[in-house]
Amino acid sequence: MAFGSSFLAELSFNFSTLPSQLANGILLGAIYALVALGYTMVYGVLRLINFAHGEVYMLGAYVALFVTWMFGYRPGSDMSLHGQGSVVHLAVMLVASMVVCAIIGMIIEFFAYRPMRSQPRIAALITAIGVSLLLQYGGQLVLPTRPQPTITESVNPYRESSVRLPIVPAKKELQEKANTALANAEEATKAWEQLKPSVKDEYNLTPDERKVKDAFMQADRTAKQAQREADTSGVMVILSIGQIAILAMSIVLMIILRTIVLKTKVGRAMRAVSHDFDTAGLMGINVGAIITLTFVIGSALAGAGAMMTATFMATSISPFYGVLPGIKAFVAAVLGGIGNIPGAVVGGLLMGIAESLVKWVGYSAYADAVAFVVLIIVLLFRPGGLMGSDKVEKV
Amino acid sequence: MSAPATPNPNAPRSTFPFAEFVGIRFGSILIAVGFAFLLQVVGSGLTDFMQRILVMSALYVTLAVSLNLINGICGQFSIGHAAFWQVGAYSTTYLSFFYYEKSFAQGLWWLAMMIVVGALLAGLAGIIVGLPSLRLRGDYLAVVTLGFGEILRIISVNVEFKKPGGTDTVGGSYGMNVTPTFMQIWPSILLAILCVAVCRNLLKTHHGLSYLAVREDEIASSAMGVNTSKVKVGAFVLGSMFAGAAGVLFAHYNSFVNPDMFRMDVSFVILTMVVLGGTGSITGSVFAAILLNAVPELLRLVKNPDGTAGTITLAAMLAGGIGIIAMIVCLRQIKTKFFGTAGKRVGLNLATVFGAFVLMSILNLIFRNFPSLVATSNPVEQLRMVIFAITLITLMMLRPQGVFAHHEFSWTWVRGLFDPAKRRQGKAVEG
Repeated sequence: MAFGSSFLAELSFNFSTLPSQLANGILLGAIYALVALGYTMVYGVLRLINFAHGEVYMLGAYVALFVTWMFGYRPGSDMSLHGQGSVVHLAVMLVASMVVCAIIGMIIEFFAYRPMRSQPRIAALITAIGVSLLLQYGGQLVLPTRPQPTITESVNPYRESSVRLPIVPAKKELQEKANTALANAEEATKAWEQLKPSVKDEYNLTPDERKVKDAFMQADRTAKQAQREADTSGVMVILSIGQIAILAMSIVLMIILRTIVLKTKVGRAMRAVSHDFDTAGLMGINVGAIITLTFVIGSALAGAGAMMTATFMATSISPFYGVLPGIKAFVAAVLGGIGNIPGAVVGGLLMGIAESLVKWVGYSAYADAVAFVVLIIVLLFRPGGLMGSDKVEKV
Repeated sequence: MSAPATPNPNAPRSTFPFAEFVGIRFGSILIAVGFAFLLQVVGSGLTDFMQRILVMSALYVTLAVSLNLINGICGQFSIGHAAFWQVGAYSTTYLSFFYYEKSFAQGLWWLAMMIVVGALLAGLAGIIVGLPSLRLRGDYLAVVTLGFGEILRIISVNVEFKKPGGTDTVGGSYGMNVTPTFMQIWPSILLAILCVAVCRNLLKTHHGLSYLAVREDEIASSAMGVNTSKVKVGAFVLGSMFAGAAGVLFAHYNSFVNPDMFRMDVSFVILTMVVLGGTGSITGSVFAAILLNAVPELLRLVKNPDGTAGTITLAAMLAGGIGIIAMIVCLRQIKTKFFGTAGKRVGLNLATVFGAFVLMSILNLIFRNFPSLVATSNPVEQLRMVIFAITLITLMMLRPQGVFAHHEFSWTWVRGLFDPAKRRQGKAVEG
């Protein structure tokens, strides 16, 4: 994952980066939670592991990519034309991903899962695997794969800025040193910028020009080094604006979901269906519509998660983009107790934190495995998941 | 009133037909070995590609049947079978790397030894995975098996060993060569036959019946005195041992392994074979394993008229997709709404399939006129997994219980097909 890999210089317990890594873990967990909600809601209603959910996530990322292309951020196009990106673009990407994913979820439910509703569960599960494979390999035929597309960073207007939350302030003399180095660097940058228009051949500089450029690069490097030293002397959480947007958006979406499920009539119907499928139907609930709605909501959440990871973490997109996040989100859902909505959030957060802790210790290569280790350990002690019910089956 | 002559239960039973017993068993073993060597002789005349399909089919038969033992016969929902396969393949790879050169066992003896070792190690893994099955059920167990496979795969990506005093490494994400290569066909065939025979015969024993009992109702069987813990772990161990043995053969046949060969997809493919053939039906697993392994591979042979590797245009794919959807919808309608005689139903089904192909051709002719649909074309072999997925969905829609459902192949049934008297009798009973 793109997350946190830059922090992995040393293979030790570096406590100055721990808060940052925890913050990263929470953000990662928020994404897992968003995707896990889709799994858990569908499971709650249909008792079906929707293996195609990861592929809906993948398609969400592709939709976001296509929207950026529509705005003119195509690779090879002139990036200066559209300037610095805007929040409107991001909002359109988010809404488009959510809407298209919702529609895709609805289509999958209608064509693949609805005919299987009266069949044994394993048949439905195999259908889900089939849909998942179809979307992966069909996507490989139809979607752009080569060169691996990424959503350009320039769509995010705030990509340069970040929020620094000092927990333990940096050592004073180091910070002052960093500040002066920063001032020097700015001066050198200005000098180079002034010189730049008059440079004839950028790859064949005259000695004078070379001197200015070297000074600028040297000062820049020193400033960064000094800042890093100052940072590591204290404890600081550095969050990019994108990460904060992810967290805020996830919280907003989860609150909306909670309101829908707990406060509205539709939500009550949803809870009734997940409690008892047949009786809910007898009580006059349109079970089919509720199931469709469940798929729509779950897929929209996955679309939002996909758009945010693909945009703010600039990971490259492929038709197999959703496999690993999908399976991890599913594990998160099981961890929290599948079918349980708060459980999915808890499971997601737990997995995100566990993963970044493993990265923090230095075993980033094993970050993907830790999810499953946590899962197995938790399930051994609580077979129904953290917040699920572990009823003992009786005759 | 004279009662019909019933055999006296207290009469001494006829002597055990020892000759027949031994004869049938030795006979079947001879037939199995003979079959394997026949395939070896026939297969060695084929191209390498066809030989590979043959061997891989046999290995997949082993995998599918052994998963069927866990999933279909014992009813434990395991979806991480590739893990056991990997245990077998990797154990022989590591051991061959370190010990083959100085081993006393060379060539085939080494292979035989490794099969035993690989099977034992995979069985150990089976115990590790099987133990949670005592506490977990259903989907939770499925996730644990899946997770176990992923953990193994990720470890195998990251762990590298170095020979003491040497520079070569083994392991890691790039994969590694497996030193002694065995390109023969017969070991795989023999293993597949052994696996089928063990599973089939197991079902006729006390032990196998308790497997079935646990599948049908765990609590009831426990009340009847079946040791469910032993049965569940036992199924996992037996199933994983065969998968491990298949892994050993695979590693030495392929002479190269890497962690990507044991991804979740592979587990899903094996699971698909089991379900497609009919959960619990060994015949079904064999049939589905051969079909699902061979047919997509054979797509690689498709050639364009000019002899280059086959390509397919977007127009043809679109036409095919629409045709298949139309076919599924019609067949489902026939399945649920048509109540005529069986003959008419079969005719209607065949007509639908034929009609779907006609529709595809017509649509293809139409779509061909749009230049944007003909502009790009994909190699046919990329369609393999797509066709796989479509087959899966189609069959689940039309026959969710699998091709063979719970039926098994039996000679009695075959004999019945050719016996007109019996057929007539059967019809009379049905009517």
